Amino acid sequence: MYSLSSRLLISVSVLLLLFFGATVAVLNTAFSEAGEQARRDILDGQVIGLLAAAEPDGNADLALPDKLREPRFGQIGSGLYGELRNAEGLVVWRSRSALGLEIPDGTVPAVGTQLFARETLADDTPLLTLSLAVDWEFDDGTSKTYVFKVAESLDSFNAQVAGFRGKLYRWFAGVAATMLLAFSLLLRGLMKPLRKIETEIGEIEAGSRVSLSDHFPTELQGVARNMNLLIDSERARSDRYRVTLDNLAHSLKTPLAAMRALLGDRKSRQFGDRFNEQIDRMDEIVRYQLRKPAAAAADKPVLQSVHIEKEVTRLIEGLKKVYHDKGPEFEVSIEPGMRFRGDTGDFLEVAGNLLDNACKWCEQKVRISAVPSVGASAIASGMVLSVSDDGPGIPPVAADALLQRGMRLDEATPGHGIGLAVVKDIARSYGGQLSIQESKLGGAEITVSIPPLTSAKSD
Amino acid sequence: MRLLVIEDDVTLRETLTQKLGDEGFAVEQAADGTEGLYFAQEYPIDLAIIDLGLPGISGLDIIRQVRADGKTYPILILTARDRWEDKVDGLSAGADDYVVKPFHFEEVSARVNALLRRSGGWASSQLDAGPVSLDMSRQELKVSDEAIELTSFEYKIIEYLMVRAGQVISKAELTDRLYDQDFERDSNVIEVFIGRLRKKMDPDNSIKPIETLRGRGYRFALERNQSG
Repeated sequence: MYSLSSRLLISVSVLLLLFFGATVAVLNTAFSEAGEQARRDILDGQVIGLLAAAEPDGNADLALPDKLREPRFGQIGSGLYGELRNAEGLVVWRSRSALGLEIPDGTVPAVGTQLFARETLADDTPLLTLSLAVDWEFDDGTSKTYVFKVAESLDSFNAQVAGFRGKLYRWFAGVAATMLLAFSLLLRGLMKPLRKIETEIGEIEAGSRVSLSDHFPTELQGVARNMNLLIDSERARSDRYRVTLDNLAHSLKTPLAAMRALLGDRKSRQFGDRFNEQIDRMDEIVRYQLRKPAAAAADKPVLQSVHIEKEVTRLIEGLKKVYHDKGPEFEVSIEPGMRFRGDTGDFLEVAGNLLDNACKWCEQKVRISAVPSVGASAIASGMVLSVSDDGPGIPPVAADALLQRGMRLDEATPGHGIGLAVVKDIARSYGGQLSIQESKLGGAEITVSIPPLTSAKSD
Repeated sequence: MRLLVIEDDVTLRETLTQKLGDEGFAVEQAADGTEGLYFAQEYPIDLAIIDLGLPGISGLDIIRQVRADGKTYPILILTARDRWEDKVDGLSAGADDYVVKPFHFEEVSARVNALLRRSGGWASSQLDAGPVSLDMSRQELKVSDEAIELTSFEYKIIEYLMVRAGQVISKAELTDRLYDQDFERDSNVIEVFIGRLRKKMDPDNSIKPIETLRGRGYRFALERNQSG
């Protein structure tokens, strides 16, 4: 029951059944009622005909001619029967057609009125009857009550109704079947793009396809686009992990070799220091490689966003504890509700490193600001994040060196170089850049600009 | 001072315990989160060093639990994870500082001393009160600019009292915080050491640095000369 098409087919079948069932019931009733009304009108005509044909027979009684205008009264078993009874209920006349049959007495209507009724013959043949009671005034001034009664067998009528009903059922069954067939064909057509996505994903898994094609109906284009983004970012991620691992493995080899060489003359005096130096180097290499961006290459991560103000507040609360003794004053100017399109870890890494450096170098003041950058045809705004402090600043020459090589500037404050190199890597992975200026506060101002997201194209 | 070290790596835990012990701290150790949480909640400790990646209860959960219980002692986290995401999580949970693995022991020691000092309300590692000044980084006591020779136990007592200057510290607390658990507890020893300290710091009984409150304990009585 989890298949969309079977769900749809079942719901449509139930709806069709309900709809056609109701229609059949209504048509059936209408047909029977109309048929019965017609029968009644005919009976009414027949009883009036009998009344018109009745003549006094001269013995102060009524008689009907042998040959009536309606021939069916004359044919035995024709299904139309006539009868005349007197006030005592005795049969005065009975049509030839009723030969051998006993028309039931039924209810006698009041004089001057007529009464329709459904009765049955002795052999259970259903009848529709009409009785008319009249006072007949003879020429001699006397009057007698007579009951004219016509009865028609409903056999043929019922057969007609049954025939009609059968035809109705067959027609509607035919129509419903055709509709269901057409609908399932239609559904198959509609589901085709979904099946295509499934097939294409299968192909991607099998490695025979790189991304989903872009010929999908409008409703599915968003899904296909996001799928492609996900696939791309997943691929970029695994590429990056592979590269990172590769770099890590290779760069660890040098210090390992150095350590092995050192072990050779472990009796030398600075053995411990030199060994430690190599461990520090390895640690630094591992840290740098592991802190590289988590997100995929530029303009990919549209899937999540970071609440900038909230994360910056969290960072500052943490840094206030770490730099409790120094007690830097933070000045924050961030547009409320502003969001960064990308990975939370990446954002924290950028803002965390910049703020940490600022706290390290500042005299007293640290300022952080974030404004969105918007470009033409952007589907998500970018970000300009800058952090400045009132410390000694970074001389332009050193700034160039820092930006180009991501090396440590000052051994006295470890981590500065690594931090900036990581920030630079992350900014670049979002298509952005890092710049170092002199801050109005007197120290360094480091700005990370991430461009707005212009389209979700994949490469 | 009594510290708690919660770290699952045996070598690291024992090295830390031993080196912190050498620096004069009484150290409790726990190897996993469950035991760690129990110590952190039930023992009288002055500072906890908690590794974030622990078996059983995670370091973050221990910190949250301890803070939810209203404990205010400083917490230093050790983490192998260097990303800011992890540091911020730890600090937001209630930790006060972090050290990233691998670390030099001196770094841990410096952070521990700074945190302890901070929790006593001092802003720098140089505690000045009247003519008395204690340099915690050098473990040096001076009175009127004259260095005083102290045994390590005497130093521990004066440091504990000075960090908590103004507070009354009971004999039981001093014994508790200064001895390792398996040490024989004898409060007379504290009295003897206090007596010696008074004699060394204040031979002519003029500045009265340590006050005895009968039945309650001791108090470092000099006003802090707080400049920063």
